[in-house]
Amino acid sequence: MAGFVVRRVAQALIVLLGVSVVVFAIVHLVPGDPIRVSMGPRFNQATYERLRERAGFDLPLVVQYGRYLANAVTGDLGVSFFDGAPVTTKLLQRLPATMSLAGAALVVALLIAVPLGVTSAIHSGSKRDYAATVFSQAGISIPDFWMGIMFILLFAGVLGWLPPSGYVSPFDSPLGWLSHLVMPAVTVGLVSGSILTRFVRSAVLESLGEDYTRTARAKGLRERVIVFRHVLRNALVPIITVTGLQLAYLLGGVIIVEVIFAWPGLGQLALLAVQNRDYPVLQGAVLLIAVVFLLINLIVDLLYAAVDPRIRYR
Amino acid sequence: MRSPLYLLLVLALVIAAAACDTGEGVDVGDAGPGETPGADGGDGEAAGGTLIAAISGEPDQLDPHATSAYPSFQVLENVYDTLVQPNEDLEFEPALATDWEVSDDQLTWTFNLREDVTFHDGSEFTADDVVFSYNRIIDDEMANAYRFTSVEEVRAVDDYTVEIEVNRPTPNMPANIGAFKGMAIVPEEFDDDMASNPVGTGPFTFESYDQGQSISLARNDDYWGDPPALDGVEFRFISEGTVALTNLQGGQVHWTDNIPPQQVEQLGGDDSVNLEQVPSTDYWYFAANINEEPYDDERVRQALAYAVDREAITQAAHFDAATVNQTAIPEGSTFHTDHAPYEHDPDRARQLLEEAGVENLELEIMVTDEFPETIQAAQVMESNFGEAGITATINTLDFATWLERQGEGDFDVFMLGWLGNLDPDDYYYAQHRTDAGFNFHGYSNERVDELLDAAREETDTDARKEMYDEAVQLIVDEASYIYLYNPDVVQAWRPEVEGYTPRSDRAIRFENVSLTQ
Repeated sequence: MAGFVVRRVAQALIVLLGVSVVVFAIVHLVPGDPIRVSMGPRFNQATYERLRERAGFDLPLVVQYGRYLANAVTGDLGVSFFDGAPVTTKLLQRLPATMSLAGAALVVALLIAVPLGVTSAIHSGSKRDYAATVFSQAGISIPDFWMGIMFILLFAGVLGWLPPSGYVSPFDSPLGWLSHLVMPAVTVGLVSGSILTRFVRSAVLESLGEDYTRTARAKGLRERVIVFRHVLRNALVPIITVTGLQLAYLLGGVIIVEVIFAWPGLGQLALLAVQNRDYPVLQGAVLLIAVVFLLINLIVDLLYAAVDPRIRYR
Repeated sequence: MRSPLYLLLVLALVIAAAACDTGEGVDVGDAGPGETPGADGGDGEAAGGTLIAAISGEPDQLDPHATSAYPSFQVLENVYDTLVQPNEDLEFEPALATDWEVSDDQLTWTFNLREDVTFHDGSEFTADDVVFSYNRIIDDEMANAYRFTSVEEVRAVDDYTVEIEVNRPTPNMPANIGAFKGMAIVPEEFDDDMASNPVGTGPFTFESYDQGQSISLARNDDYWGDPPALDGVEFRFISEGTVALTNLQGGQVHWTDNIPPQQVEQLGGDDSVNLEQVPSTDYWYFAANINEEPYDDERVRQALAYAVDREAITQAAHFDAATVNQTAIPEGSTFHTDHAPYEHDPDRARQLLEEAGVENLELEIMVTDEFPETIQAAQVMESNFGEAGITATINTLDFATWLERQGEGDFDVFMLGWLGNLDPDDYYYAQHRTDAGFNFHGYSNERVDELLDAAREETDTDARKEMYDEAVQLIVDEASYIYLYNPDVVQAWRPEVEGYTPRSDRAIRFENVSLTQ
């Protein structure tokens, strides 16, 4: 077990190193010199060169990368081109909002996906199954930004039940936090839930056709016991895998939803960084998202053993 | 150990129950729409209350000399002051300077300063702060250093007198130092901390910044003018227009300038919201490359000017939130030139091309996704040109590449705008004077040069106006820039907001605003 963890962490670190190269390269290879652009149409060669030097852009790329990496290891991801604030601080400020949203969205997604997927599989081919399929197809197809705006217009505008946008820290007001969280979480959760529903359905369906299910039936077990104790338990491994991936996606990939709901998360920060061409912040955000992705994958791998005792790590 | 599935189900049930509970709680909760926003803000005294303004973006930074982002200026407008400032008619009035005069040779400007001003940190405002601020802009080559190109020296004569020495007459000095808060006076002790926690002399003090969410300002009780009625202002960043509007209509915010243009007309009939629009000082235009054939022939450029349908372009780019104009300066401004020779006339365009001996003209319209309105406008222009027998294609570039190609003169036709100019010299000189800094399209006319040179040194407003009128007519007739429209400043607020007026220069000031219950 310990050996496995060490190996997995080592693998993750290698991937992370690769990510850092890509992140660094993207920023320096995209068209548009960030400093030239930040100066707008009023251009002055002397100022330009001074600013380039200050950002270290006049050094060879390899040296720039080496510096970046050495600092990143100590948690120093540089400072924003604009307000001069440390990137690490900026990222940490955004983490609670994004974690709230991703966590809540995942709960919504599971609340939709597990019952719907299981029902759909058990009654496969029935009207219920078709209804579930239509629902999940719609959830996947409807763009989340459109759904978000419709929710706002309906629940905040017409009905006035929920605040239209913004974020309140749970430490300031748990109720305020929850009321602001509901709409974005449901918006993101619906999409994720729709995707997960498809996976739950197929995993359960596969498990239903296995020998142990037939044996359980032959023993005369009640259908409910069969589904919950045998079928679902065995279907959990693929479900956990996809859920983990979804969570990682949610942490980094809910940019549009965060922007619509004025949710001060990582996605919004990353978008602002793109708009301003604030490259240190953009690099930091992508790197952080990659770290989260790798961490969740690691946890998912370790969870397999807890879920399925047949899995052993060597 | 029980199966993890039980855990999952139990967890799901608990959360579902919690969600139902609070669903009800929210319904009757403290954030109920229709209530006065900020009423739950805390102190509950009968004072002015906190005005909540939804702005469309987050400031990139709060250093007034370094930023060029509009959201930064929306906030800083209320925190900082300049020596002089434009009033609502965009004429310059005293601010931190009580009065000013210019020497007979027009090479020395003397500003007398107010003696009763303190910065938000309690330090006294003196001439040294002015000298420091201007030298910082010049020496550190800040974004607005170009406004000081004629300045030789800024010096403090005594604690409350500042002299600015220039190497040529600079009648637009008030505009240069007072047009907007990019020329703000900061304390002499300015440091990195003040770059993120602004310390100014304005009607509101900087209080707090919630990254990604909002910035709060509080009333400055020691303000040199009449202290504001409001307790404070909170700027919330809401980038999606529909959402900002829903916040306004629901009463979560009092004021916004983030209004989807397609909803402007419909909002006019909404009693729960006051909406006003005024033409802004910004303008959008296109220009053909006079250094290249066949655009060196003014008849070809005029053909382009006749070919475009300005009304349709304006509608496509801004719906009802812009005003067509064939010159740069909006109607209602002192220096507006009433001259509109072109109408949408494809036949006239064809005829002019024929006269110039140009057949099957093919051209590329260079636009940038940095300003999506240029793409929308170009789509209309493309079909307009088609009607006149010109085959147009649209080339959408990122702004950096766009600027590069403009600088190298590598284009047929480009479209862009100029934002935030006030003095006519800013509108016309750098763009149309032979070989001037932004004359990338290569316009040159001796008479225009003469007029622009003379006008920038003329101090009599009427005489200046006459010179600009003549120059602008030539510029328009020879189609140097082909002007299209001025976007409107569109702002909306709740009925309980009193004393607010939208301004052509997009400055947003809440010092005279109050909230009624």
